Amino acid sequence: MRVAFLLLIFMPLVGWAQPCSFTVSGKVEDDRGMPLAGATLVLTKEKKGVIAGEAGKFEFTQLCAGKYEVEIRYVGYQTITTSLKVPFNKPWIITMQSDSTSLNEVVIEDKHTNLAVTSTYSSLSGKLLEETMGKSLGESIREIPGVNSIQTGPAIFKPVIHGVHSQRVLILNNGIRQEGQNWGVEHAPEVDQFIASNIIVIKDAAAIKYGADALGGVVLVNPAKLPTEAGIGGQLHTIVASNNGSGVISGFLEGGSKKWPGFGWRTQGTIKKAGDARAANYVLSNTGFEEQNFSLSTAYHTEKSGIDIFYSHFNTSIGILRGTSVESIEDLANAMERTVPQYTTDFTYDIKQPRQSVQHDLVKINAHIEKGKNEFRFQYGFQSNRRTEYDFRRGSLREIPALGFQLYTQTLDAEWQRTHSPRWQSSWGINALYQNNNKIDGTQTIPFIPNFDHITMGLFVVEKISLRQWMLELGLRYDVKNYDVIGFDLNNKLYHSTIDFQNASGTVSVKRRLTSTSSFTSSFSSAWRPPNVAELYSIGTHQSAASIEYGLLLSETTSEVRPYEKSGVNVEKAFKWVVGYKLEKPRFTTEITGYVNYIFDFIYLKPRGITQSLRGIFPYFRYTQTDASFMGIDFFSNYKINSFWTLTGKASYLRATDETQNDYLVFIPANRVDLGVRYESNPEKKWSWSAESKLRWVANQSRAPQVITPRQIIEAQAQGIDIVAQRPGNFDFKAAPDGYALISLSVGATWKLKSSKCEIRLSADNLTNQSFREYTNRLRYFADDVGRNITLGLHYSF
Amino acid sequence: MKSLRFIFFVLTSGSLLFLASCSKDDPKPENIKEAITKATFTFTPVTGSPVVVNVTDPDGTDGPINRVLSGPINLVKNMPYTLTITMINELAPTTAPEYDVTEEIKKEKNEHMFFFAWTNNTFSNPAGNGNIDARADLVNYNDKDDNNLPLGLSTSWTTINATGSGKFRIVLKHQPDLKSATSTFSDGESDLDVEFDLSIN
Repeated sequence: MRVAFLLLIFMPLVGWAQPCSFTVSGKVEDDRGMPLAGATLVLTKEKKGVIAGEAGKFEFTQLCAGKYEVEIRYVGYQTITTSLKVPFNKPWIITMQSDSTSLNEVVIEDKHTNLAVTSTYSSLSGKLLEETMGKSLGESIREIPGVNSIQTGPAIFKPVIHGVHSQRVLILNNGIRQEGQNWGVEHAPEVDQFIASNIIVIKDAAAIKYGADALGGVVLVNPAKLPTEAGIGGQLHTIVASNNGSGVISGFLEGGSKKWPGFGWRTQGTIKKAGDARAANYVLSNTGFEEQNFSLSTAYHTEKSGIDIFYSHFNTSIGILRGTSVESIEDLANAMERTVPQYTTDFTYDIKQPRQSVQHDLVKINAHIEKGKNEFRFQYGFQSNRRTEYDFRRGSLREIPALGFQLYTQTLDAEWQRTHSPRWQSSWGINALYQNNNKIDGTQTIPFIPNFDHITMGLFVVEKISLRQWMLELGLRYDVKNYDVIGFDLNNKLYHSTIDFQNASGTVSVKRRLTSTSSFTSSFSSAWRPPNVAELYSIGTHQSAASIEYGLLLSETTSEVRPYEKSGVNVEKAFKWVVGYKLEKPRFTTEITGYVNYIFDFIYLKPRGITQSLRGIFPYFRYTQTDASFMGIDFFSNYKINSFWTLTGKASYLRATDETQNDYLVFIPANRVDLGVRYESNPEKKWSWSAESKLRWVANQSRAPQVITPRQIIEAQAQGIDIVAQRPGNFDFKAAPDGYALISLSVGATWKLKSSKCEIRLSADNLTNQSFREYTNRLRYFADDVGRNITLGLHYSF
Repeated sequence: MKSLRFIFFVLTSGSLLFLASCSKDDPKPENIKEAITKATFTFTPVTGSPVVVNVTDPDGTDGPINRVLSGPINLVKNMPYTLTITMINELAPTTAPEYDVTEEIKKEKNEHMFFFAWTNNTFSNPAGNGNIDARADLVNYNDKDDNNLPLGLSTSWTTINATGSGKFRIVLKHQPDLKSATSTFSDGESDLDVEFDLSIN
């Protein structure tokens, strides 16, 4: 205190003696106290700027005494304009508020990732994202309230937003619609999570720019901007985990050019290898996986225009628990009744059948140009997705995939954005998609989905208007879609059909700034989604299900495919209303989002009965339409006790109902609460420490449909009764598992060198080695979930 | 700036062309190797006309249409019969090797075996209830594989000298690398599993 006092007295004197040798240093952080490395601070009049380095630290040197205007900018945060009076002899801590308004600017640079002014979104970036490294995309975004995953074993996670998934959740990988065989719940998004510098989940109407079909929401996976200045940088991550003996190596190198300012490049790669995971009491045999990914990107940017080229390759091979493969309902009944799954053997890295192998390639070119009030953006993407699935088959068929598809997708997006005035901005755009799916010949099974050509064209207009505390956004969209399908029915006879769809969708959202730290948003949107090809035409069995699945158009009496027009099948139409309240104070943040999503003609797989073949009896499921509602509340809160300790609380509540049948739906995530306490030492020191403890509590899903076990089906069948047909409504083969609580702990240390940083992190998930089953994990019928996992991560960046 | 505008133009028009140009041929049908759509069971007596029953499932294992069984099997009392089994797969073209499943099974005889079970002691030879519950129980196989192990496409049966009725179950097991002198009904996977009513008059 006394020292500070003395400094206060003497500093002006020193300044007077040497008028232009003052230094102002400090730190830029976000409202959760996370450092914002890369924030720019500009003395506007003097045109002098610095960039916050590691740990958000910055320093202005050789300042003269006097008053300066400073502008502080960081992507995704509100720009701060303030004045600085030099001398300023304390560390200057700048807290930036994250804001969708400024996120809108991100987008202007990172084409087609625009966020609406008024949207309800959550993001995962910075330290929080780093801590999920090594996990898959679907697993890491579960950190976001309202986001869950539907799981097939320890390695396959599919994002669920507000209770809906698969085709209803759009994933934009680097601005491009991720297109794979995403109809299958055991088909995880083919995205290398290490590419992302931030992941944003939009839960409301703002999705209108990306397509009419994002009924649930949109996941944006955004890589960091490429460097525009000379120099080389990079990162290296190595992660090992005890549970499945996995090792992950990922890294990138990036740089700019001295000769051509504005030119930047990055090369990135990831290798993952994991063996069998372990439940608390046994090995989950054949749940290993491996992944090899790489990406290359280059860009050239001038102040008002730019062009980016990106290529990525994703390759994975994933084993599915051996104990899930069954040949008949008798086998299924046995598999579900066992305490330890059949075929459980010692730990191994081998991946045998059943397994899946996926290769995904993406080429993307985008460009933008700014002219006065107008900005034009253009983006073209080409994706190739090759998926093969191997099952246990007879003799010579053993090494032949039972399912194989090659899907090519081309997308073209163009947008014209005009900023009429600071208060009014319009954008008009067009999205086109051409998709071509072909079976891989030689599987010697009836293809599960047919070959098809799919064309979609969409036009949209979005108007954003701000008036004092109010911000209003209106969006309108019109889409036409065509399927041209050639496939084989169950008699192996060729059929051919074409279907056209067209429809309009719209959104209205408003945001009201209540005080300088709080705001309220409300948005209403309509969306529609035509049934996808799998929902219409699928026939037969595939890995995820120990059952037979039939599409909406398959006739149950003749096994033939009915024409769409005569089938009575409708498109899904959704009306979603989302309200949100956000309070962001320097030490306290809270966010509450409430939503109602009513979906007419919601398509889902409904158990219908049993079918008898020469091999015995099988349960079968059929895509069916019903009216469904999803209502819920997401809650997030963060409280900084002091500069070291932070408390975090998250909760998701969801209530889903089959309105037509007045019944429950299956695989709806149970309600959950997450609590965390975190310690972080002063990140400006050479050595800094952090420690965190988290508790996740997941309730039992009490809103689950009736249970009919395979054993009950067999016993009824022996008496000539089709129990499934007799008990209408939805059902599940097994009761929802009990709720559970998991504890995780992590400690980390960061060591800062001159221009590089070393980080080490040790964490334990499911610390108490709890044996539990998660309701949304499809393996819950057969086995426990993953037990204790200790992870060691080493991160180096320069 | 100018060059960028040019790139813009090239990319837009180029990819639009790409979108427009595509034609396609009909996909090739797959040979569905693993299905059995019809199985025929012929009981040929020493004297008199054969008794034929069958089971059909035109849409194969994965189809929603249930199998249809003919029957019952009406046999004459105190009569020796030869049971021959034939199977076809109508999901494969008639010319394809996969169409004639019987032939396929003969080729893969070292991996296949039929098991039988019946109730109410309806046969004097073999006596008992068949080898589904216990492999060692007697069934009179007329054919053997390369390892001198039974196959079962042809079997011999003599009915009891009395009227009677019961169930008759036939199961074809696929036992790759598993078939042995002691392998049982619970080894491998079922390719065929049907049960008929049986009556002896």
